[in-house]
Amino acid sequence: MTETIQVQLKKGVLELCVLALLSRGDGYAYDIASRLSQAIDMGEGTIYPLMRRMQADKLVETYLVESPAGPPRKYYRLTDAGRASFETQKAAWTRFSGAVATILGEGQ
Amino acid sequence: MTRQDFLARLREGLRGLPAQTIDDIVADYEAHFVEGEAAGRSEADVAQALGDPDRLARELRAEAGLRLWEEQKNPSAAVGAVFAVIGLGALDLLIVLPVLIGVAGALFGIAMAVVAVFVAGGAVFVGGPFFDPPGGVATAIFAGLGLIAGSISAGAVLTLITIGLVNALVWYGRLHFRLLKPAL
Repeated sequence: MTETIQVQLKKGVLELCVLALLSRGDGYAYDIASRLSQAIDMGEGTIYPLMRRMQADKLVETYLVESPAGPPRKYYRLTDAGRASFETQKAAWTRFSGAVATILGEGQ
Repeated sequence: MTRQDFLARLREGLRGLPAQTIDDIVADYEAHFVEGEAAGRSEADVAQALGDPDRLARELRAEAGLRLWEEQKNPSAAVGAVFAVIGLGALDLLIVLPVLIGVAGALFGIAMAVVAVFVAGGAVFVGGPFFDPPGGVATAIFAGLGLIAGSISAGAVLTLITIGLVNALVWYGRLHFRLLKPAL
């Protein structure tokens, strides 16, 4: 059960984390995936469906850049809608996590 | 698992989606292997970190079916969404399946009844006045109109109920995603 909750929690904030990373600068999926998998222990494969969905929702757009590793890299950049969505989600998360932290603190 | 195995199983599992979509998805994962190798990781290591390609493909295919339903609410997309959820192959879905078939059968039966009432209404409206109905010609015409109007509104309500049920099923199916986004 604890594991289920953790998975759902992580998935819920995954989009917010990706938006946050991209708001600081454009990135390619491998880089985003490895940074997130180190930080919050997500399966790396999860990133691609998410990026496809965010692209379909017009939160991000892609462009190709030559890469030293081989074929050109697909870079993602936030659109205006993506930036707006980031601000909204960030505010909601901050409010929510603050409230939960307060309640958890009271219990001790 | 090697890169070839992973990509082959992913491609195999995605069969049924548009070729362009499959190529895009597989290209993303292929690029992931290239990047991983450049960073000095083994193919087995990258494949391990990506997760089970069969499960990934199942969820990607299901998600494509569910999205189609959300974009265009038509009968064929509804059928696609139902099969997408069943295709996830989760055990509790198999238990839900008989209930689902029952509900679908009942909806179909009611839909047929609605169509029958509509046709009967038309017959009363057109043919009724010629058979010397009790209460006069006007009664037959209005009774026919009433039956037609009633069946149309019943059909509309039935459509709304069906859409609601498919939406609920879509939500329920997404709860079973382990690799993709959550339902809530």
